[in-house]
Amino acid sequence: MVAATITTRRTVGLLALGALAVIFALVGLSVSAENSAQFERLQPWMLLGSALAVLFLALLILRKVLQLAAARRRGAPGSRLTIRTVTVFGLLVALPLVTVYLFSLGFLNRGIDSWFRVEVKQSLNDSASLSRGMRDLLLREHGSMAESFARRLAVLPSGEMLVALDDELEFSGAKEIVVYGQYERILGAASRSVPDSLPSRPPAELVRRVTDGGTFVSFEPLGGDNFVIRAAAPVSMAAPGPLDARFVVATYDPPSRFAELTEAIDRSRSTYADVEALREPLKYSFRVTLTLVLLITMLAAIYGAIHAAEVLFRPVQDLMAGTRAVAQGDLVTRVPLTSSDEMGFLVQAFNDMTRKLRLASEENAASRMAAERERERLAVILARLSSGVLAVDQSLVLQLANEAAGLILGADLSAQTGRPLGEVVAGDDRPRQFAALLAERFAGGATEWRGQIELVGDGSTQSRVLACACVPLPQDGQPVFVIVFEDITRLLQAQRDAAWGEVARRLAHEIRNPLTPIQLSAERMRRRLLPSLRGPDAEMLDRSTHTIVQQVESMKQMVNDFSEYARAPALRSAPFDLNQLVIEVADLYHAQEPAIPVETVLDPRLIGFSADRGRVRQVLNNLLTNALEALDGHRPAAIEVRTSIIDTGGVERAQITVSDNGPGFPPELLGRVFDPYVTSKPKGTGLGLAIVKKIVDDHGGSIEAENRPEGGARVRVMLPFNPDGREQAAGERRSEVRRERA
Amino acid sequence: MSGHVRQGQTVQAGRLIGWLAALVVLWSPTAARAETLAGTPEVRAAFVSLVSGVYQLNAEIDYSANDETAAALRDGVKLSYDIEVSVTRGRRFWLDAQVVAVNLNRELSYHSVSERFVVKDPLNEGDPQSFASLAEALQEIGRVKDWPILVAAQVPAEECSVNLRSSVRRGRLTGSLRVLMFWSDDWLLRSEWYSWSLPR
Repeated sequence: MVAATITTRRTVGLLALGALAVIFALVGLSVSAENSAQFERLQPWMLLGSALAVLFLALLILRKVLQLAAARRRGAPGSRLTIRTVTVFGLLVALPLVTVYLFSLGFLNRGIDSWFRVEVKQSLNDSASLSRGMRDLLLREHGSMAESFARRLAVLPSGEMLVALDDELEFSGAKEIVVYGQYERILGAASRSVPDSLPSRPPAELVRRVTDGGTFVSFEPLGGDNFVIRAAAPVSMAAPGPLDARFVVATYDPPSRFAELTEAIDRSRSTYADVEALREPLKYSFRVTLTLVLLITMLAAIYGAIHAAEVLFRPVQDLMAGTRAVAQGDLVTRVPLTSSDEMGFLVQAFNDMTRKLRLASEENAASRMAAERERERLAVILARLSSGVLAVDQSLVLQLANEAAGLILGADLSAQTGRPLGEVVAGDDRPRQFAALLAERFAGGATEWRGQIELVGDGSTQSRVLACACVPLPQDGQPVFVIVFEDITRLLQAQRDAAWGEVARRLAHEIRNPLTPIQLSAERMRRRLLPSLRGPDAEMLDRSTHTIVQQVESMKQMVNDFSEYARAPALRSAPFDLNQLVIEVADLYHAQEPAIPVETVLDPRLIGFSADRGRVRQVLNNLLTNALEALDGHRPAAIEVRTSIIDTGGVERAQITVSDNGPGFPPELLGRVFDPYVTSKPKGTGLGLAIVKKIVDDHGGSIEAENRPEGGARVRVMLPFNPDGREQAAGERRSEVRRERA
Repeated sequence: MSGHVRQGQTVQAGRLIGWLAALVVLWSPTAARAETLAGTPEVRAAFVSLVSGVYQLNAEIDYSANDETAAALRDGVKLSYDIEVSVTRGRRFWLDAQVVAVNLNRELSYHSVSERFVVKDPLNEGDPQSFASLAEALQEIGRVKDWPILVAAQVPAEECSVNLRSSVRRGRLTGSLRVLMFWSDDWLLRSEWYSWSLPR
């Protein structure tokens, strides 16, 4: 701020100094041009001052021009307008000034030339010619007089020469008459005034002339208005002696008026010659003065135009800067109000508009923020929702999907927005099946519906049953449908499990009771009647009772199995070495069937695993029995038991995987292998895997069955690592079931 | 040798400034100078003689002339024939000291009615002499005879030299017209300095 003030003061000071210099130069030029007495003294300094003023103004303009050019290059607001205006102002100023200047120059040249008109010089020359004519007349007259006197002297006796001189002086009006003899010796002289010295020697030209026998006459200026007419004539004698006159020289005063006019004419000619010599300097002096005045005036006007344009367009520049700021989103900007005229009104209107825009923008931003918050909340809800939520258009192009939808469909849908649902790449073809089923529904014209959809496993994965609800969204343009779906496979499984449990309990209860009396009755009948019978009767009785007892035993075994399946004994969890248990069971089965190797791959990190050891052993027994039965007659056969630790949702679980290279599960049974009485083997009750699943469920674990891609079956059992994890898993299971029921 | 004082030096400096200023405004003067009248003077011979304690200068200077000079004179232009004489004392490592400097200005003009060339010579007590021809007039102007320039008492003990230079220029104007000659440097022709030792 201080620096800016100093700069402004310095600029104002410089401008004031420059203005003073310009005024001084102009006044000085004017004074020096008018006052010739001051001219010679002032002119150099005036010219120097004017030149400095021109230089100063040129530098100021150059600085301004450079500033304008720099502003133009960086695209400063209003720079183009300012440059255009300055150009127009400059042309408006320069064109008339230059026009007047050129006209003035022409006028000046013509004016000065007119002062030196040819007629003046000609009249002066004519006057001189006229005077010379008069002079010649005088010279002829006085030459004749000299010749006449010379002729008289030639015949005059030498003793009468002096008398004759006096007479001639008196008669001719001469000032002085001198008679020269041989060697220009003065023989006699007559003068009107008393001479203070001898007459001067005759001019050489005179002597030459008369020696040649001619007459000499001359009109000689003596300074000022004084002239003398000199006339000389030779004295012609037949045989001149040494003391005889050789020539006579007479001097006369011209008429005084003639002398004055002659001198005046000569003076005028001389003065005119001087003035004529000054014609070009005079023009040049005026041209320089005029040019300096033009330059100073024009440069000052141009500088003034630049300054005026800057002042005039400063509010416009502010407005443009403000507009640009507003366009870039800066609604806080305010244009300074510098005047109360129309421009001030415009600035005020702009500021009002900006304020209203800012208020509207703030309201808009608040609304947007609220909507954003709402959207985020919805996103959080959708993300936390266990139900899958999809938004698709009529062509099943994915518009929105939550995380649960991806989990249920087995694909990451977060990056699939905008793609058709059927093209979503996933581990299996669940999205494609889902899309196809949805397309069927849409093709049937159903826009709002509820129902179950079964996604069939492809042999390696289980089938899934989804409960779906489709609701069209109220939206302009292409309709969008929101599909909410839930994986109810577990719920259905739980319902089946519960039903089978009830069946097993009732079977155990209803069948177990009559079996014992049947068996006892058959044994009593055999014991009483067999000794009394002989022959075929005894054999028939023996066989029949034996069959009854055997079948009853068999039914008892079946009832026990059902009872085992149905009962829910309390778990007795305790830490044990799972790997050790796996090794024991594997060794047992390997010993039982040495032809089938049982390989174990054990994870040494399984320390601290806690579960009901007996029931886990039963799980292993059932799984290995199932594998051995599947490998019956299948060679080469191999079984692998693998233990590991997996992390599911932050909870560590122990995983037991039993794989074989047998024929695998029939694909049609893959989704129901854990149901009772589901078996592909000719032997067995079909309760082995069902019991395994029940034990795993009791432990809060999960079980999956699948076919290996390279052949064979694989069953994965995942058990919580300890009772805490089991409680957590059980809680999740209960809530999941509750949600499914809801 | 050139350390003599020149009259009119201030005017020359002012003229120089004026020309610089004119150059600054980028004005190109055309025909602002007087036309050249030609003929650089040449000092043919010069000597001083000590007569009764007074040093008298005698010189023969050749002022050549051509038709242009004669025509200019006939148009009324006056020419000034100047002789600058200085006696200087040489100094080592410094400019020469000036003992005396004198000028002799003779003026030549043409009288249009008498058709004679008039010479005004201050040595001739100001009485003009007229000549029928320019050559005679120039011969008269170029001859200097017994011009006293220095008395013996002024001469320092050290060795001195006499320097002579002649010049021809347009006669200076009078009055207000002279100021305009600011733009027109007078036509001026100068001879080289002619120097010799001052005899004792």
